[in-house]
Amino acid sequence: MEHRIIAKNLADLYREAGNRFSELPAFATRKKELQWSPVSFGELYERGVNLATGLIELGVNARDHVGLFGDNRFEWILADYGVQLCGAADVPRGRDVTDAELVYIINHAEIKIAFLETTVLLGRVLKLKKDLPKLKEIVLLDSDFRAGDQYRSIDEIEHLGKKLRAKGDRRVEERIEGIKPDDLFTLIYTSGTTGKPKGVMLTHENMMSQVRGIPVELSCTDRVLSILPIWHIFERVFEIFTISCGVCTYYSSVRHLGMDLKNVEPTFMGSAPRLWESLYQKIRKNVKQAHPMRQLLFHTAYFLSRQYRNSSYFLTGKKLHLDPPSTLKHVLLAPFHALRWLIVLPVYGFFNVAVLEPVRMSAGGSLKATISGGGALPVEIDRFFNYIGIPVLEGYGMTETAPVIAVRLEDNIVIGTVGPTMQDTEVRITDIETGEVIYPNPALPHEGRGLRGEIRVKGPQVMKGYYRDPEQTEATIQNGWLRTGDLGMITFNNCLKILGRSKSTIVLLSGENLEPEPIEMRLTQSPYIEHCMVVGQDQKHIGALIVPNMEGFRDEGFQKQSLEELANDPEVRTIIHSEIKRIISVDNGYKRFELIHDFRLLEENFSNGEELTSLFKMKRHVITDKYQNLIDEMYHQESNEEV
Amino acid sequence: MEFTTQLLYPVDQILLAVMIFSIMFGMGSSLTVDDFKTVARYPRGILIGFLSQFGLMPFFAYGLAIFFNLPPAYAISLILIGCLPGGTTSNMFAYFARGSVALSIAMTTASTVMALLMMPILLEFYTAGFVSEISAELQTSGTGVEFVIPTGNIIGSLVLVLVPVMMGMFLRHKSPAWAKTAEDTAGFMGIIVIIYLIGTVFVRHTGLMLQTPYDIYLSAISVGLLGFLFGYWMSRLFKLSPIFQRAISLETGIQNGPIAFAIILLSFSEPYQSQMLWLAILYSSFIVISSSFITLYYRKVGKFDFEVFQNTTIHNRLFGEDYVSKYPEGYLPDRIKEDPSQGSNPGQIRSVGK
Repeated sequence: MEHRIIAKNLADLYREAGNRFSELPAFATRKKELQWSPVSFGELYERGVNLATGLIELGVNARDHVGLFGDNRFEWILADYGVQLCGAADVPRGRDVTDAELVYIINHAEIKIAFLETTVLLGRVLKLKKDLPKLKEIVLLDSDFRAGDQYRSIDEIEHLGKKLRAKGDRRVEERIEGIKPDDLFTLIYTSGTTGKPKGVMLTHENMMSQVRGIPVELSCTDRVLSILPIWHIFERVFEIFTISCGVCTYYSSVRHLGMDLKNVEPTFMGSAPRLWESLYQKIRKNVKQAHPMRQLLFHTAYFLSRQYRNSSYFLTGKKLHLDPPSTLKHVLLAPFHALRWLIVLPVYGFFNVAVLEPVRMSAGGSLKATISGGGALPVEIDRFFNYIGIPVLEGYGMTETAPVIAVRLEDNIVIGTVGPTMQDTEVRITDIETGEVIYPNPALPHEGRGLRGEIRVKGPQVMKGYYRDPEQTEATIQNGWLRTGDLGMITFNNCLKILGRSKSTIVLLSGENLEPEPIEMRLTQSPYIEHCMVVGQDQKHIGALIVPNMEGFRDEGFQKQSLEELANDPEVRTIIHSEIKRIISVDNGYKRFELIHDFRLLEENFSNGEELTSLFKMKRHVITDKYQNLIDEMYHQESNEEV
Repeated sequence: MEFTTQLLYPVDQILLAVMIFSIMFGMGSSLTVDDFKTVARYPRGILIGFLSQFGLMPFFAYGLAIFFNLPPAYAISLILIGCLPGGTTSNMFAYFARGSVALSIAMTTASTVMALLMMPILLEFYTAGFVSEISAELQTSGTGVEFVIPTGNIIGSLVLVLVPVMMGMFLRHKSPAWAKTAEDTAGFMGIIVIIYLIGTVFVRHTGLMLQTPYDIYLSAISVGLLGFLFGYWMSRLFKLSPIFQRAISLETGIQNGPIAFAIILLSFSEPYQSQMLWLAILYSSFIVISSSFITLYYRKVGKFDFEVFQNTTIHNRLFGEDYVSKYPEGYLPDRIKEDPSQGSNPGQIRSVGK
């Protein structure tokens, strides 16, 4: 049954959801472990209309930019309702925004009125006030605080609007009618992994095309757990999608995630690879600590599941095809796989029920699917969850494409790829140097499948451009084709495979090119390594900056209080050294120039908003700048040794 | 059909005994004292379950025996199977069939206790005709022995079977982690031993499989299927909610096979023992297959109302017991619209066997 609402624009969608799902819960806020407070779609819409009326009264015009600084909470959504319903666009950013970014964004987007989540944020903005000449009004989201003389509370504006509505004010309805598909609904400043913030202009049509195209079916009886930052487009698209399906979103946090998964039993969620990595480590740790009989049961179950699923993937053509598939091989192997499938099925059935189902409970037990995005999911982890029966669908996208470009489908899981492209979306693979089209190119064998190059996208989700930056816009979008800056290829089963970020490619002195991400991903699976960044641009060999994993070493009996102590322990260095040697070795399929020659342990963890983006991606230039001395030291020492 | 050799060799009998012990131990490991308290929470469901387990099933077994005109030993074995209490396997099937696991566990618990009283009465009642048939046979062959249903032995075997259950419950009380392992190991061992027994019996008595008349197969398969069918319709007739209908249906059809093995081995002698065992083996093998298919079917048809039930349960869990979920007009089909279980919280226990 298809239940999603198809609307003209976001405001129209909110109105329609308010009518159709009026008494169902739309958003739930956690008070205590088993005490959540819901707000219904009807109530949310009504309050949104009141707020919008209040905002119009305060002088917000259609197509104005309204600042929205804060993290996941109900009032964030309420503020978004208010902004959308008065025909304006919001400019969102999380609490971790820096002062410099605040000033840049507010001035660049010409924000006159801004919502701030907390008093801390309020204090910072008030201090910066002299640098923000255009900012007229500040509204505090946290309703625990009364309005002061320099700012208003969200309740106050809602109240103002309510009075006007009672008197027959219907300006909101006029504003909704006035929204065009090409109008912005949001303007998102990306700090990205390089350079100064760029304002990505996303239109109502961008978002509506996503709502239409997301290949997941949800209905009123589903539950979505929200854990990623709402101001990021990847989380936001799912929240809007869930509104269109009448699904309740439950706001969780990293701290309560384990418990909330069990209590809310979500059926769907947007997730980042980091989440699955930590859940993977947790499950493995639990298995390791269980007594031998349980370990044996788990390993048997996992083994059987692997046999069973590999055979069914083979038989249904969902195996990853990087080379042209051979019909002869398929015909020869098919009977073997059919036989294995049949033999394993009954025993697998039992183990699936008795052993794997309880493991699935660690993710709530009811997940129909979860889309992982915001970074590459390590293949081992991808496999692990799909084998134990938690369908992790890897997606691919970027803020500039609102965000989904391609996503794996529930009934067509090809592990190692990000699935087929979204509906109405075209993807090209182009030569990095010349820009020539590699795929689809009839002149090449198999139309260019299996060949790597830069990914370019054309479709209804591609942004309008960068705000007040025609130069960057032109460099990024050419004839409607958006350059993603990512490397990829189309597999022989027509799925997109991501091969790394073309901008992060390291070119060694010898001229060898290498992608750091796969190496980093393998290393961070070690229980001893929390983060790792591979360096070596224009050097002879590659090196690595490593943040040791406190917990991993604590399990080994290292009673260190801080990372600083840990990083300076020679024994820790020895362990990590052998870990690197073991993992990144020629035996494991790495080429000689991919071996890590030296590394440095960092005394400080990477933090969100500083070295990491909100989706835990490393900002390479920030880390390189910060630890330039360590990098220099690594290569300086090396050249000394050789002298 | 005659058994020229013994169906089970001593080594098989030992294996079977080990299997019975470990399965019953595993069953105990999955139970807590709270499960007995749960029984009180579902009086209606338990009563209807009781009626279908001890009312319908023995009657169907008897009816099939009469209908197919089975030889008396087979008939007695079939009736014995009909009178058995439910086993833990049904809890697992109920979980995957999107039925009420709590009700399934409660029914298993209640019926196992009730079996001590009900089994001797029911056996006495339904088997009387077949027992005199065997006795008459023995009289004419001149052995002069009278065949009786050894009621004392049956109760004795039932008590004996309950000992590992108690031990399992004690383990569960002491160490839930170990109990979980015992439960899974028992399930695994159960499968291995059943596969082994069927395998060896098949290899050793290939002829037997072919010789066994079709009506024996049919009755071994039908008794479970009739249980599924009527358990479902009976609870539907009494307007129980769909999740309870599915639980009762599976609980009725799936019997505690190992208890049958124990009773046959401990209470009956050759030549009847082998015949009775053969029917019990056939039932145990086919019931796994048929309940797998039934479960897949229930899982499919029950998807929608289970999701509604689950969502409602979670709403009540998080938003308070008084919260009422109001779905849009026309979203809920009439079938479950008026169902009280969709609005109030029956507090279903989610995890497999807890």
